[in-house]
Amino acid sequence: MTELSEEERKKILESAPVGTWALMIMVGASMVVGWLFLYYGVFLPRGMLN
Amino acid sequence: MHIDPLEKKWAQISLGICALFVGIIMLDALFHSVNAPSNVETINSATLHLSEEFAEDNLGVEVDDDGNIIVRMVAGRYSFFPKKITVPADTKITFRWVSIDVVHGVHIPMTNMSTMIIPGFVAEVESSFPKPGDYPVLCNEYCGLGHDHMWSKIDVLEKDKWRALQTSSKGVAK
Repeated sequence: MTELSEEERKKILESAPVGTWALMIMVGASMVVGWLFLYYGVFLPRGMLN
Repeated sequence: MHIDPLEKKWAQISLGICALFVGIIMLDALFHSVNAPSNVETINSATLHLSEEFAEDNLGVEVDDDGNIIVRMVAGRYSFFPKKITVPADTKITFRWVSIDVVHGVHIPMTNMSTMIIPGFVAEVESSFPKPGDYPVLCNEYCGLGHDHMWSKIDVLEKDKWRALQTSSKGVAK
């Protein structure tokens, strides 16, 4: 593993966390899509209880 | 208290997602008139066996004069009675559930059937079975030590097969 210079380290720390954002968006979006599928694709077609 | 900005954003996204889900459910309930099950019909649980409707001979499947299918079931520690019934697939069925002892719940996988059975009340739910097969009927409300063994079975047949079975069993009864 190469050692990072102080300048490189600072650059990484100050730049936008693109990977984290991508991961957050992927997790959030897949959760929403999964929920919508269960609600509209499985739960509602089985009929309401009144 | 210091919260990392990224963590704060993630918390906001999570709360936003929760708000979206609750909003969808509430709007759906509002526009499709979805209510909690509210069939307030009382019955004396101690004398079910003497009642006309839930006497032993009247339990199970009944087809009324208009062709509606009504299923009467009794829940008691630790089974649903009758243990096995046969109904047609893809047909509206009205289930009427009562309890002879404590609070039970009923869940039939792959259908909308999921309700509590409270002693003293009749739980009425309309349901249908999408395709033929064996469906388990499970208690989903802890009712005692034998709760995990509380189940019965619904045998779902094709409409034609079920009609033929009904006709032949009526013939045998005559």
